[in-house]
Amino acid sequence: MLFNSLEFLFLFLPITLVIYFLLQKRRLAIAAKSWLLFASLFFYSWWNVTYLPLILSSILFNYTIGGLLVEYEERPLKGISKKGIFLFGLTANILLLCWFKYMDFFISTSNDLLGTQLPLLKIILPLGISFFTITQIAFLVDAYEGLVEERNLLNYALFVTFFPHLLAGPILHHKEMMPQFERLRNKVLSWKNLYLGLMLFFIGLFKKVVIADTFSSWATAGFDSTQPLNFFSAWFASLSYTFQLYFDFSGYSDMAVGIGWMFNISLPVNFNSPYKATGMIDFWKRWHITLTNFVTTYLYTPILRAFGRITFTRSLVAVFLAMLISGFWHGAGWTFIIWGGMHGAGLVVNHVWKKNKLPMTPFWGWLITFAFVNFSFVFFRAKSLASARNVLEGMFGFNGVMLDKSLKKIGFLGDLGFTFGKWLEGIKGNDHTWIFAIVALVTVVFWKNSMEVVERARPNWGWFLMLLIISFWSFLNMGKVSEFLYFQF
Amino acid sequence: MTTIEEITPVFREVFDDDSINLTTSTTADDVEEWDSLTHMNLVIALELKFKIKFALGELQTLKNVGEMLDLINRKLSR
Repeated sequence: MLFNSLEFLFLFLPITLVIYFLLQKRRLAIAAKSWLLFASLFFYSWWNVTYLPLILSSILFNYTIGGLLVEYEERPLKGISKKGIFLFGLTANILLLCWFKYMDFFISTSNDLLGTQLPLLKIILPLGISFFTITQIAFLVDAYEGLVEERNLLNYALFVTFFPHLLAGPILHHKEMMPQFERLRNKVLSWKNLYLGLMLFFIGLFKKVVIADTFSSWATAGFDSTQPLNFFSAWFASLSYTFQLYFDFSGYSDMAVGIGWMFNISLPVNFNSPYKATGMIDFWKRWHITLTNFVTTYLYTPILRAFGRITFTRSLVAVFLAMLISGFWHGAGWTFIIWGGMHGAGLVVNHVWKKNKLPMTPFWGWLITFAFVNFSFVFFRAKSLASARNVLEGMFGFNGVMLDKSLKKIGFLGDLGFTFGKWLEGIKGNDHTWIFAIVALVTVVFWKNSMEVVERARPNWGWFLMLLIISFWSFLNMGKVSEFLYFQF
Repeated sequence: MTTIEEITPVFREVFDDDSINLTTSTTADDVEEWDSLTHMNLVIALELKFKIKFALGELQTLKNVGEMLDLINRKLSR
């Protein structure tokens, strides 16, 4: 089920909320949590019930392994060490992800490089598998290192499946989530949380269905084009995607956090105006923050510790490797590996720059970062290296620069070698395209983000009116079904 | 009890900055040089000084001096 669907908004969410708080009111805490678990599994199964057994087995398996690790000191198993159990659990999770996500990539790479002729398996990626696998890997690591204190299957299952975050994050940590389902004051409906949650939810919905879905058509036309793109078409295709991705994913994250608030559950914030970043280090402190924390803690640090004594150079190698793996986690393809590699390299340059105290003004830092991120998203979006190349060739001016035909009157432009015509036809664009792009750029760079807006929100008529406007505007755009970009990861 | 006075020299050495003054509310955002890279140097310097070991899942809590002191004291009292 999608957050941006009418059945979610008018049936699933209100019914789930009302029954949850009715049960809590009657002090049926276990029934209330079981209800929330049931609702989350229903939410997961809405489109495809096939993978329900998969997620349930994954939860039971990891809970069991976690239990064995936590109780190992008191009840050691014969013949297998604690480390052995941990490595078994870790390997099982990685193999599960490899099978469902990477098998076809490995097969096609082997076919290309080694000349084998293995048939592809065409496995459909189970929704949310990348997310529920890594949250549970973190749980196993913590259980192994003695950080897991709470043992309760219902809380654990709810932590993994809680429907706001199940499909695309924010990536949660059991330590910050599991106690929240127990806290007494979280069990009483809070009108303030409901109001603020709705507010954040509708801002997110607006970002998704009004802004992201508008940019989506130009980005799709540009990236799916097999024709050469002229300079501006290529740039606006790539900028459209850069804005689409931010408004789509941060819109989704806003909706997730907002729904969490309605249940008095606080989910971590995932975005903090990333396109205001003035460097690559800064960018990753603002973009997909919960992933940055996960990668730093569970990838970068173990890699670095494996190197032995820490030096600056080794830290940089660890940063690069961690970003490469993080890129590959996003998707099984060379484009994602290149994307991860670019961000790894960008971080390395930023760290070297910073260590040597080289000069950089905020404006140039911002411009270089934004341009670099925009180029990196060409690989992130493109379905193949050929498609990425097509867009990049346009962006580097290989196919000439065409201006709008209305500019033909300005004589010297023609002398400079520009041609005139329908300049954005290649991406099915029009004047809306460049106006939208400029408005979006100004908004993300100079405006407050949704969290900052909601922090100032008060229950008065002005805010209520704004809420009405953005929700109606969103409803008008909800006719078509459009998935969130991060569901494919 | 480990105090701010004991960990301040570690900070000053790792970040190579003698002007650092810590309070229990200092966080990674308050110190210019304190990023994910130097954070690990800090963690390892603390591990050596107090002869303790931090788990991976604890590293994010260490980005706040107050919680860092609590955690060190809990480990030392074990």
